[in-house]
Amino acid sequence: MAKVPATERKTEAKTAPPDASATLSYRAIPGVADEMLDTAGNVRPVWQPMLAALGRMSAHERGERFARADRYLRDAGVFYRAYGAQGSAERPWPISHVPVLIAEKEWEALAEGLKQRAELLETVVADIYGANDLVREGFIPPALIASNPEFLRPLVGVAPPGGHYLHFCSFEIGRGPDGNWWVLADRTQAPSGAGFALENRVATARAFSDIYAESHVHRLASFFGAFRNALQACKKTADDRIAVLTPGPANETYFEHAYIARYLGFMLLEGEDLAVVNNRVMVRTVSGLKPVSVLWRRLDAAYSDPLELNQNSHIGTPGLTQAVRAGNVTMVNALGSGILETRALLAFLPTLCRKLLGEELKLPSIATWWCGQPAEREHVTRNIDRMVIGPAYSCLPFFDDHGQSVLGSTLRRNAKTSMTEWLASDGARLVGQEAVTLSTTPAFIDGKLTPRPMSLRVFAARTADGWQIMPGGFARIGAGDNVAAIAMQSGGMAADVWIVSNKPVEVTTLLPPEQEFARNLPGALPSRAADNLFWLGRYIERAEGALRILRAWHARFAENADPTQPLLAYVSAYLADVDIDSKEGVPASLLGNIDSAVYSASNIRDRFSPDGWLALNDLAKTARRFHEKVQPGDDASHAMTILLRKLAGFAGLVHENMYRFTGWRFLTIGRMLERGLHMTRLLGHMSKEDTPDGALDMLLEIGDSVMTHRRRYNVSTARLTVTDLLALDPLNPRSILFQMNEIRQEVEQLPQAFVNGQMSPFYREAMRMQANLAVMTPDAMNAAVYRQLEQDLEHLSDILAQTYLS
Amino acid sequence: MLYDIALTIGYDYDTPASGARHILRVLPLSIPGRQRLIAGSVKVSPEPDEKSSLTDFFGNPTTAIMYRSQHGTLEIRMQARVQVDQVEPVADFSPLVGKLQAELEAVWSMDGDSPHHLAGPSPRLADNVEIAAYARAMIKPGMTVREAAYEICKRVYTDFKYDPEATTVDSTPQEAFKMKRGVCQDFSHVMIVALRSLGIPAGYVSGFLRTIPPPGKERLEGADAMHAWVRVWCGESLGYIELDPTNNIVAGTDHIVVAYGRDYSDVAPVIGVLKSYGSHSTRQAVDVIPLKN
Repeated sequence: MAKVPATERKTEAKTAPPDASATLSYRAIPGVADEMLDTAGNVRPVWQPMLAALGRMSAHERGERFARADRYLRDAGVFYRAYGAQGSAERPWPISHVPVLIAEKEWEALAEGLKQRAELLETVVADIYGANDLVREGFIPPALIASNPEFLRPLVGVAPPGGHYLHFCSFEIGRGPDGNWWVLADRTQAPSGAGFALENRVATARAFSDIYAESHVHRLASFFGAFRNALQACKKTADDRIAVLTPGPANETYFEHAYIARYLGFMLLEGEDLAVVNNRVMVRTVSGLKPVSVLWRRLDAAYSDPLELNQNSHIGTPGLTQAVRAGNVTMVNALGSGILETRALLAFLPTLCRKLLGEELKLPSIATWWCGQPAEREHVTRNIDRMVIGPAYSCLPFFDDHGQSVLGSTLRRNAKTSMTEWLASDGARLVGQEAVTLSTTPAFIDGKLTPRPMSLRVFAARTADGWQIMPGGFARIGAGDNVAAIAMQSGGMAADVWIVSNKPVEVTTLLPPEQEFARNLPGALPSRAADNLFWLGRYIERAEGALRILRAWHARFAENADPTQPLLAYVSAYLADVDIDSKEGVPASLLGNIDSAVYSASNIRDRFSPDGWLALNDLAKTARRFHEKVQPGDDASHAMTILLRKLAGFAGLVHENMYRFTGWRFLTIGRMLERGLHMTRLLGHMSKEDTPDGALDMLLEIGDSVMTHRRRYNVSTARLTVTDLLALDPLNPRSILFQMNEIRQEVEQLPQAFVNGQMSPFYREAMRMQANLAVMTPDAMNAAVYRQLEQDLEHLSDILAQTYLS
Repeated sequence: MLYDIALTIGYDYDTPASGARHILRVLPLSIPGRQRLIAGSVKVSPEPDEKSSLTDFFGNPTTAIMYRSQHGTLEIRMQARVQVDQVEPVADFSPLVGKLQAELEAVWSMDGDSPHHLAGPSPRLADNVEIAAYARAMIKPGMTVREAAYEICKRVYTDFKYDPEATTVDSTPQEAFKMKRGVCQDFSHVMIVALRSLGIPAGYVSGFLRTIPPPGKERLEGADAMHAWVRVWCGESLGYIELDPTNNIVAGTDHIVVAYGRDYSDVAPVIGVLKSYGSHSTRQAVDVIPLKN
């Protein structure tokens, strides 16, 4: 115990007694394998330091440690999307803080088995889409492929560039009662979870930093580094891009797509970001079309091309299949490889392994019988009490298929009879699988270390040195104590997996060594990302504009609660024009603007710091809460002040932390444009001849310029001075001219500002507007000028969209 | 029989379409011993920016076109000269309905022509219990697969009313079945679902039907547009037969095959993806002119 990060242990030892009972009461469930205890009930050597450490902790210390992990996950914004009866919602990542520990030696055997399996799957899929010998020679029943929704006919005969179909797979594995590991399911379509495994690791290492440092745990970074290099090697030219292709923010694992893209430095794209031109895949960026030659696909293959694959897909790229056929893009994994996930295929793998690799399957699959064959159907019927019956073509593992599978032993007698009939009439669509009992692993439940059923998700990547298995992965922990695997359906947790060596492990990071340092400029910004940034800027500013007007309105209403008094009525009329009802405390349309800002931001999570995201969500949440309860008048005025402060917090985070490049410019142009519009409309409305008393002072207050006005003009508010300060003063960050100057500056820096040495139409327009306004005098600013200015700003937004965002 | 066939499909968009990409399946097939494409061409206007040809999984020739620029109309014109030979009627070598499964399982092939592709559900044709019950009620003990297919063809023809207003190109067989109305696409889809529910592999055929009625007979329905009928696998010995449930006839020299598939989605004459606002109007004109017998 030399390297004690002693502060905690010493101080804790004095203040609180160890909560040994929490760990001492741990008992394995009879007849069930346990990860921590061996069959004799002894703690496995690899677990001893962890268990000892847990036993030394007081309940308080344990709570603090777990809270550190939770805080990390919350601050990092780790979430997944859960679909339920109430629609979908982002949920915090449910971590089980105690990692699963596996000895290196045992892991090595597992990894060998999984490498063999990955190789086998590659050979099988290459045959299914290639020579088709396996069907012709009777090794795979044709019905299993022909009726399979994942058999994508347009890809038959299409050899992938580089010759490989599979680049990244995952396996769901579990330990049976005899202590041996079984593969429960193969994931080849778009395996998820590798990013969550990384986040689990960081969070768990926070909770157990001392134990982690002492335990010789294999690191995960080198696995990702090797895979990144492998993908780099798949590029056709150095200029090509690699992208993670995501179905979008509505997907349950979108966080992970954004996280992986950020972690590995790839673009995060959706189907509509891509265009196929002359059989090449291109990404639409604000700098024009740029080639993409590697797509790490998190989108199910059938949805990736509405032209040749699923015609109902709205998230695909028309023509993608043509580009694939032309050999111009490496898909990770190849379109169509999802067919390997077919549950019934598990029944044929042992024979296929012997036939194709000339060896036995090193790691068995869960025993599976496809009921399309008479002998197999007979076997399943006879042993129905030990079987899980489910759909043969399902690509989901039986314990995770939303209740499509049934456990034979739970059927009542008459249901059993109908099951037998079902098997007889529709056997080809059914599989029987042995109802395995999974091992348990310790989890803290109500302050006690408790055995919970678990399965592991393990990842394999094709690298320059062949298949590599991620040393770790993530463990899925069942919600209840029912160890029948089928109980793991919902409400489970995830835990980190530590592969523990008995000697020090190599520590690598993904950062290049210092001598290879290069300052890379960010790549071209995808048009859709620019669009979202631009609109994020506009919505945020629109919300701010509304907040400022409403605060001023409610402050006056608080003094004289008569909404018909001239000034209030006058401003209410203006607000009504922009769909805001001043009679509501916090109006619904204001929430709409903030929600739109959140939506825009949610589409570009990979470009956002978690801090900024949390600040924006906090603003939205607070606004919704206020909307429920805030009353007009003083209450509302105060609420607006709080919301303005929160909004300024978000804007400040963006301003202080966002890298000043193309993305920043679109966000800024969006804000400036909206702020310019806001001030133009207001001035146009409030500087008319018939404005009620107090309008000019209110205008200054909305423009946050009361003090400046007092200091700069030694007169009371007058139309000319207010116009001078709010429209034409280049030093006032609220004035229209200030916005125009900023926009002009940013536009100058955008790609394609000059085309063949000529100003682009967009740049020309921004320049013209800025120049026109800069030479104006306050007395010339009348309603007609403001109206024209408003039109010009809207027009500027339109040409920006035409130039960069389509 | 020698035919000259002309097909025009036109689209008019309310607002110009951009980024349009289409796959066309309009050219008649060459089928040894039955049908020969002597000459054929597919022309589109405006001239596309990209154009390529390919044979799809089921052996149908396809044309892929792509437009980068905007266009307000699209016109596809196909012209072909096709020789169609009389296929001599054969005796019923098909097995009993209950025996077909064993014959199917003995076919170890995944070729485009393999009956396995036509046995299970397909993109447009899910299983349907009502249609399955409808089919089951027609089967009598001792019926062969071909007899069953003829029976279903006849029943769809008599039970359903030809009604172009009742359904659209996107209608499901369930909808058509409920109304007992539809056009050749619906008749064919219902018949396919019925056959598959009995374990009989069945697929979709798109093509043309001769337009000039035989003397003294009524004009055949579906003659002024592209037509559709059904392909049925009747076992190892008999192989495929083609039946036209819209007219209750065996597809013969009046039927010119364009494409084979599992359902309409595999053989639609035009599949397209484009960006446009508002709607569009479509027109289609078909001329099938017999040159000589």
